[in-house]
Amino acid sequence: MLRLWNAIACVLLSAAVPALSASSQSFENSAIVRTVDLGGSLVHVTTTFAVKALEADASVYTITLPEDEIFNTSWLEVKVKGKQQPLTVTYSGAPAGSNSHNLDVSLETPLEVGGTINLVLETVQTHATWPWPQQAGQNDDQSLKYQTSLFVLSPYKTNVQRTKLKSSSPRILSYTTPEKVDDFTLESPVTKSGATVTYGPYNNVPSSTNKAFIEKYQQHIVLHYVYEYPVIEVLDLKRTAEISHWGANLNIQDDIVLHNAGPKLKGHFSRLEHQTQSFYNRGGSHLIPRLTVHLPAGIRNAYYYDLNGNVSTSHLRVAPSVRNQKNTQHSVMELQPRYPIMGGWNYSYTLGWDAPLGDSASYDAKTGKYIVSVPVMTEIPGSVVDRAEIQIILPEGATDVDYVAPFPSLSNELSTHVTYLDTLGRPSITFKYKNLTNKHTKPIYVSYRVPLSVHLRKPMAVATVLLSLFTFAMVARRVDLTIHKTKTVSKKM
Amino acid sequence: MPTAYPLPTNVSPATVANTASLLRIVAFGLISAAAIASRLFAVINFESIIHEFDPWFNYRATRVLAAKGFYEFWNWFDPTAWYPLGRVVGGTIYPGLMATSGVIYNFLHYFNLPVDIRNICVLLAPGFSALTAWATYMFTAELKDPSAGLLAAAFIGIVPGYISRSVAGSYDNEAIAIFLLMFTFYCWIKALKLGSAFFGTLAAVFYFYMVAAWGGYAFITNMIPVHALVLLLMGRFSGRLYVAYSSWFRFVGFQPVRTSEHMGALGVFGLLQIVAFASLVRSHVSSKQFQNLLAISVVTMGVLGAGAFVVMTYKGWIAPWTGRFYSLWDTGYAKKYIPIIASVSEHQPTAWPSFFMDLQMLIFLFPAGVVMCFRDLRDEHVFVIIYAVVASYFAGVMVRLMLTLTPVVCVSAAVAFSTLLDTYIDPTEPEATTTEAPTAAPTTTTTTATATPDSKKIKKAVAAAQAGNSASSIASSTFNDIVSATTRKGKSSKSKGIWGADARLAVLLNAIGMLAFFVFHCTWVTSNAYSSPSVVLASTNSDGSQHIIDDYREAYYWLRQNTPQDAVVMSWWDYGYQIAGMADRPTLVDNNTWNNTHIATVGKAMSSPEEIAYPILRKHDVDYVLIIFGGLLGYSGDDINKFLWMVRIAQGVWPDEIQEPNYFTPTGEYRVDDRASDAMKNSLMYKMSYYRFAELYGNQNAVDRVRNQAIPKVGPTLDYLDEAFTSENWIVRIYQVRKEDPLGRDLKSANAFEQGKKKKRSKPVSKRRVIVN
Repeated sequence: MLRLWNAIACVLLSAAVPALSASSQSFENSAIVRTVDLGGSLVHVTTTFAVKALEADASVYTITLPEDEIFNTSWLEVKVKGKQQPLTVTYSGAPAGSNSHNLDVSLETPLEVGGTINLVLETVQTHATWPWPQQAGQNDDQSLKYQTSLFVLSPYKTNVQRTKLKSSSPRILSYTTPEKVDDFTLESPVTKSGATVTYGPYNNVPSSTNKAFIEKYQQHIVLHYVYEYPVIEVLDLKRTAEISHWGANLNIQDDIVLHNAGPKLKGHFSRLEHQTQSFYNRGGSHLIPRLTVHLPAGIRNAYYYDLNGNVSTSHLRVAPSVRNQKNTQHSVMELQPRYPIMGGWNYSYTLGWDAPLGDSASYDAKTGKYIVSVPVMTEIPGSVVDRAEIQIILPEGATDVDYVAPFPSLSNELSTHVTYLDTLGRPSITFKYKNLTNKHTKPIYVSYRVPLSVHLRKPMAVATVLLSLFTFAMVARRVDLTIHKTKTVSKKM
Repeated sequence: MPTAYPLPTNVSPATVANTASLLRIVAFGLISAAAIASRLFAVINFESIIHEFDPWFNYRATRVLAAKGFYEFWNWFDPTAWYPLGRVVGGTIYPGLMATSGVIYNFLHYFNLPVDIRNICVLLAPGFSALTAWATYMFTAELKDPSAGLLAAAFIGIVPGYISRSVAGSYDNEAIAIFLLMFTFYCWIKALKLGSAFFGTLAAVFYFYMVAAWGGYAFITNMIPVHALVLLLMGRFSGRLYVAYSSWFRFVGFQPVRTSEHMGALGVFGLLQIVAFASLVRSHVSSKQFQNLLAISVVTMGVLGAGAFVVMTYKGWIAPWTGRFYSLWDTGYAKKYIPIIASVSEHQPTAWPSFFMDLQMLIFLFPAGVVMCFRDLRDEHVFVIIYAVVASYFAGVMVRLMLTLTPVVCVSAAVAFSTLLDTYIDPTEPEATTTEAPTAAPTTTTTTATATPDSKKIKKAVAAAQAGNSASSIASSTFNDIVSATTRKGKSSKSKGIWGADARLAVLLNAIGMLAFFVFHCTWVTSNAYSSPSVVLASTNSDGSQHIIDDYREAYYWLRQNTPQDAVVMSWWDYGYQIAGMADRPTLVDNNTWNNTHIATVGKAMSSPEEIAYPILRKHDVDYVLIIFGGLLGYSGDDINKFLWMVRIAQGVWPDEIQEPNYFTPTGEYRVDDRASDAMKNSLMYKMSYYRFAELYGNQNAVDRVRNQAIPKVGPTLDYLDEAFTSENWIVRIYQVRKEDPLGRDLKSANAFEQGKKKKRSKPVSKRRVIVN
C-alpha cells in the first residue's frame, strides 16, 4: 500500500483527501479515444474524453485508472483540449472491488446540462514494456511486448471508445484479439493498419468501474512489436548543482549509471561482428553506440569521465548564451561510451559543466533574495531515470532558503556541504525522485538571501590564514633557540 | 686592484647579502616551478591519470588508506590478488608513499580542501621533485657554495634521468625516495661536519622514512658505513665522525640486522667502537704496546667477524641475499636462474645511449666534478667520490638504478660547472705580466690571481672594489687593464688568470649555450619519451589532431561494469595491478611477483594447448582470460612478444612439459604465420590472439603488423573458451572460460557435436537452392 501511495503521490501534484465524489450520473462520455505511443522505456498515453454533462453544475469529472497502470505511470496531466493550463487532479479513493483508482478532475467552470468539454489525459508510463524474446543476438532485431487493458474504465456511460496502439515501425509481430466484445461491436474487434493497431470502436459501454463489468469484459491485451531504438534506463542519477557567487558560476554534475534494458545479449560480444555491422551501417537496433544530450547554452569546461578517468570520445558544440531572452538554443553533447552498450550491459559515467550563473539566476531587489533555477534533469532521449537525487548547494552562509519544486519529490532534506575555502559550510537541499521521464525536465527554483558580510567571509578567511603564516614565519626567523652562543658563525646561508 | 668590468662601490655588505638571499629565493622558486611544470607534460597531453603498472597498485592502496584509515590499511589482506592465495598487503609493501599521500589528503581535507585522492597521487611526484631540488641545493651548498647548489638544484629539477621516474602520474616509490635519499645524505654530511647528534638523528629519521618508502634504502644503509669506513682508513677518525655515525646507527637499530644488507652497517659500527676505544687506550698506554695490541686485536676481530658472518648466513640466521641483489653483481645471473627478474625491462643492463639521453652534458661534466672533489678533499667530498663510484657501477648494471646515479651526477656536474662560472665571472683581473718588470716577486700575484671558489663572489668583488684603488672602477677593457697595470709597474710577473672580457665572454657564452641545449634536450626527452601514461596511447589523426587509443581502459571498464564482482581474471602478471585498479576484479598474478610458481602456472596455461590449459583454468576458478594483442594496430608491447618469457618461466617449473625450443620453427625463427611450430599454433595464447583475426580482413591477406607476418586464412578455433569482449582496436581481448558440459562430455566433442548439428540444419537450405536454380 505504501508503494501505491508513493506512486500516486509522485504522479499528482496534490494527493489530498478525497473530494466530493461525483455521482456516476453527472456525465456521459460521448467518446473516449486512447492513443498509446509505444516506445522502449517510455510509453506515452493520450486519452481524450469527449464529455457531456447530464446535470447542472457538474464540476468534478472522475477518471479511473487500473492499479497496475498507476504503478507504471510516472507523469500525468489533464488539460482541456486546446488549452495550456492543466487542471487540478486529486485522488479520490478506489471503487470497491474494481482494483482501480479514481482521480477527480476539477473543471475550471462547471458545465451546464448538455454542455460538452474535451478533456485530454496525458500520461507517461515507465517500465511498461519488456523485451521478448529476453535474449537477442548481436545481429538480431529487438522486439518488445506491451500490455494494457482493453477498456478505458470510466464511472460514466460511454457511447464509443477505441484504443489505438502506435508502434514506431510497422513490424508488429502479434497482438491479442479480444474476446467477448460482441456486446459492443459488430465488426472486427481489432484492426491493424500499418504501424497502428486499433481496438474498437466499442459502442455503448456502460459504467465500467464496477466489479461486474470488470470481471465480465475487462481483459489484458498484449502487443508484440519490433522496436528499432535502444531501451535506455538510467538506474541512478545523482545531480549536484553548486552555486558559486564568487565565480559567478553554476556547476552541474551528473553521475549516471546507465543500463541497456533491451533484450540481453545472447552469447558474447564479437567486435568483428560489431565492426562489420558499423561498416555496412546496419547496426543492431538494441545497442547504444552513443548518446546525444542537450546541455544549456553558453556552458564552459564540460567534462565527461568515468571511474577510470577521462573518456576522450565525445564532442561538444557549445551554443552561445543569450541572456534575458527565451533561449531556444542548446549546446549539443555527443557522448560515446567506452564500449557500445549491448543489451543488459551497464555503463556509468560522470558528466559535468560550468554555466554562467547569470543565465539561471536573478536577484529580486524587492525582497533581497536570489532566485536560481536548476533543472531536475537533462534528458537522455527515450530514457527513464529510475532513481534520481538532486542536490543543490547554495553559497556559503545563505539564509532564508526556500524552494519551489515543479512536482513533489519522494523526500527532501537540508544538509551542510563543506568544500574549498569554506569555514562554515554551505547549505544544500537534496531532492529524491524516482521514474523521471522527459516530462520531468523542469527547473527547481531555489531562493535565498546572502548578506554582504557572508560574501566577504571567504577573502577574509584566506587573508587571515596567509597573514598568520607570514607572522609565524616572521617570528620564527627572529627567535633564537640556541642555548650556547658559539663564536664561529657559519657563513653558509 | 683591476677588475674586468665595473662594480658598484657604494653598496653596503648587508644590502649585498640581502639581495643575494632574495635572488636565491627567487631562483629557487623558479627552479621549483620548472621542476614541477616539466613533469606536467603527461597531464596536459593526456589527463590526470596514474601511469604504467606499479603505480596502479600504489594508487589502489592509497585509496584504501584514505578511505579506511591507517590501521585498517596496515591490516589489509587483499583476497582479490593472487587468487586463491590472497596477499597480505600491509606487511609486504613499503607504506611510505601511501602514508605520505594519506597524510597530505587528510591535511587538505582538514582544511576544507577536498582534493581528489587521485590528483594527490598524480601530483605527488612533481611536488616531491621540487623538494628534491631543495635537498640537492642544500647538499651541494655544503660541498661548495650556494651558487653551485642552485645549479645542482636546477639540474636535478629537469634532468631526464630523474624525470623518467617522477612525471605526474608516475606514482611510485621512487617519487619520494630520491628526495629522502638526498635529504638523508645532506643530514649525514651536516652531522659529520658539525659532529652534531641532532643532524645524525635527523638523518636516521629520514633514513627510516626511506626504509618505509623504497627498497633502495639498502643503498643508504651501505653508503654511510662505507663512507665512515673510508674516512677511518684515511685516518680521519674524529669525535665528529663517531658522534654522527653512532647517532645515526643508534636509531637504525639492531632490529633489521638479520639481513645481509645490514651487515656492513653493523660491522662499521663495531669497528668505530673499537677505534674509539683504541684511541682512548692510545692516550693511556705507550705507543709500542699499543701497536702490538692493535695488531693482535684487529686480526682476531677480523677473523671472528668474518667467521661469525659465514656461520650465521649458513645457519640461516641472517637472511640470504635476494636474487635481485645477486643480479647486481652478475648481470647474467638473473637470466640463468630467475627469468622473472630478467623479464622486466628495467632490470636489464643499461645501454650506453641511455646515459646520454638521461643526463646529456652532465655525463661529461660529472667526472670533472668528481675530480674537483679531490682538490680540497674534505669529508663530504670523500662521500661524493664514493657515491659517484658506487652509483656509476650500479647504473651500468641495471637501467632502473640510473636513478640513484642521477643525483650525484647533478651534484658533481654542478660543482664543475659552477667552478667554471666562478672562474670566468670573477671580475678580478690578474696583475698583468709586463716585460718591463720580469723580476717582481711571484708570491704576491698568485694569491690574487687564483679564483677562490668557496666564498661568494659578489661579496668578495665588492670587498675587492672597496679595498682596491679607484682605477678598478673604470678598468673594463683589456686596454685599460694594461694601462692601469703599466701605471702600477713592478708588481707582477707570470701569473695565472683570465684577462679581459672577450676571453670571459667566449667561455661564458659557450657555457650558457650548453645550458640552453641542456634545457632543450631535457624538455624534448621529457615530452617525447617519459610522458606517456602507457595506459593510454596517442596517435595522430590525418588532420594532425591527437587521437587517443584507449583500449585498455575500455576493456577494463567493461570488466568492471558487466561481469560479476567476484569473476576471476587471468592475465599475464604485467596487467595484474591494472586489472585490480581499473577493473576491480580478482587476478591470479600481478606485478608483485612474489610467487614464481603461481606465475609459472599462468605461463603454463598460456603456452599449453587448450585441453591441458582448461583443467588449470578450472582449478583456479578462472572466469575470464585477458590478453593483449597488438597485431591489428602494430602495438609491439603485446603478449605474443612477451610469450617467450611465459614459456621460459613455465619451463623453469615444468621442464618436462614446456620446452622453449618447441615454440620456434625448425630453423630457429619465432613465427606466427603458417610456418609457426605446432606447439606455438596450439598454445592458448596463440589461439586467443588470432581467434577470428583473419576474418577481419575479408578476402585480403591478414597481416600481423607487429611481426609483419601473414596470418593463415583459416584461423584457430576455440573449444574451451568463448570470446567475451574485444576492444576497439583489438588490443585487449577477453575470453570467458566455459563451464563443464552439462552432459559430461568434454567440451571439444560437445562443440563438434554442436557444429555437426548446425551443418545438418544448413544442408536442406542449400539443397533447396539447388532445386530453385
